[in-house]
Amino acid sequence: MKKKTVDFRNAFFDSFYNIASKNNDIIFLTADTDADSLVKFREKHHERFINTGVTEQNAVTVASGLALSGKKVFIYSMVPFITMRCYEQIKIDICSMKLPITLIGLGAGLSYSYYGPAGHGVIDIAIMRALPEITIFNPSDPISASAFAAMAYNNSSPTYVRLHKGSTPKIYKDNESFADGFKIHKEGSDCCIISTGIMVHRALEVANELKAHSIDASVIDLYRIKPINVNLLLDNLVDYKKIVTVEENTFIGGIGSLICEILIDNQCHIPTKRIAIKDEQCFSYGDLDWLHKKYKLDVNSIVDRIIAF
Amino acid sequence: MDELVKKANWLRLQVLKTAKKTGGKGSHLGGTFSCIELLVSLYFGGILKFDPSNPKWSDRYRFLVGKGHVHLALFHIWADLGFIDNSILDSYGKNGSLLGQQLNISIPGSEYNTGSLGHVIGIGAGMALAAKLNKKKYYTISLVGDAECDEGSIWESVMFAGKNKLNNLITIVDRNRMSVMEIIEEDKSSGRLEEKFEACGWNSKTINGHSFEEILSCLSDLEGLKKPLVILADTIKGKGVSFMENDVSWHSGIPSNAEFNLALKELKGNYQ
Repeated sequence: MKKKTVDFRNAFFDSFYNIASKNNDIIFLTADTDADSLVKFREKHHERFINTGVTEQNAVTVASGLALSGKKVFIYSMVPFITMRCYEQIKIDICSMKLPITLIGLGAGLSYSYYGPAGHGVIDIAIMRALPEITIFNPSDPISASAFAAMAYNNSSPTYVRLHKGSTPKIYKDNESFADGFKIHKEGSDCCIISTGIMVHRALEVANELKAHSIDASVIDLYRIKPINVNLLLDNLVDYKKIVTVEENTFIGGIGSLICEILIDNQCHIPTKRIAIKDEQCFSYGDLDWLHKKYKLDVNSIVDRIIAF
Repeated sequence: MDELVKKANWLRLQVLKTAKKTGGKGSHLGGTFSCIELLVSLYFGGILKFDPSNPKWSDRYRFLVGKGHVHLALFHIWADLGFIDNSILDSYGKNGSLLGQQLNISIPGSEYNTGSLGHVIGIGAGMALAAKLNKKKYYTISLVGDAECDEGSIWESVMFAGKNKLNNLITIVDRNRMSVMEIIEEDKSSGRLEEKFEACGWNSKTINGHSFEEILSCLSDLEGLKKPLVILADTIKGKGVSFMENDVSWHSGIPSNAEFNLALKELKGNYQ
């Protein structure tokens, strides 16, 4: 039987609605990006729902002015536009003043699969994690997406949440705690697969397939990209013979990069393989599964690459 | 009015002396001197409402500077008014000082971390919007340069403020008609700033930015505004020192000893 799936936007914005309905200081700005699950908030609290128009730089700057005046602000647009288009505004107007503003990016990874590189979210982690003050959440299922709306609200400093455009089944229980920054979903003894976002589902399938090849793999969901819970993560990694990172970002600056940085900085010399998207702008158009196959991110390709590693 | 003229001369002298003393640490005399009367009007002419003993007083008027290059004038004003101690002012240009060549929010009196142009109209729009949501009476006033108005982000925010009828938001353009490298002839290339702002839903007023009478008359009565207001203040870069006026090289130039003495003489002549 096929598992029930929930759209990440519904999960996040339903949670946001419950929080924002109780606090009049929460303002929602959208740079003309919509979602069905936003309608309720827009209708009931129209004075706190502002469409800035297609002006991401302005949206971030206005959010800063609001936050400097005591407001808690959420800003919403597509991943590339709410990160790269207004990067300097994020750096100066939000981060340098450590303001409680949450950036919500829609379209993590290749989930805008037919859009081409302007709409793909495959290098945003690389640039956003260079901002010292920011917290980055990358939900892997509807439960984590919902929880991160609340955690972003409770964070008194800048937060970035990147949402997959689409739905997945749940992999977390309803009352899961996301305090640790990562979660070990499956414990194995041979190698550890570290993934993030919807690729965690892929990693779990891969681990299942690897059993047939006598490889007992762990799967970790690195749902908080920044700050990384370095000590706890290292404690959990030191005994593995091999580490594999699997992500829907390019090789440059994503979780493969950051895991390697952590390992090297801590003199933890475990052989590590990075599985990610080729360093190119993708002008191939198709559905998400097709694109994943093109970049060898499908189950069989990943299994083959891990066996060969 | 005489007091304000004296204050302006005093301020130019202080800025000149500090720039000379600390030369090359970031002072920008040309664009600072062009807006001295504007700053003096705001802080000493009764326009801004503030409390130096409580810089974050919730009803204060918000004053944002886009061209943070005018920091020296503001540091002297803030020290004079008691926002910061003279010892902090004296540390300017020294290693480890709280004061650098831009403004940041850890300095009492400063509302924003400056350094990149084209942000403050949007920051101001957010503050003006917050005032409306919170039913607060304060006004938000920003000061930008005319060369700064080349930034695209300025126009995103100008359109936003116009659309949202933020009649508690005022922008002053220090129109000295010079950028770092060029003389700006906007009228020829892209239409006048007055028309651009008005096309985006703002009211505009054009004034002589060195005339206290004109500055105060358009800032004294803000109650009846229906739209955001832009004040195009025509100014002279380097104003007050004859050989610095309208000369691009004084954007960030530091005077030699001879130039310094000459400038001092001219400003002291005005002061008395």
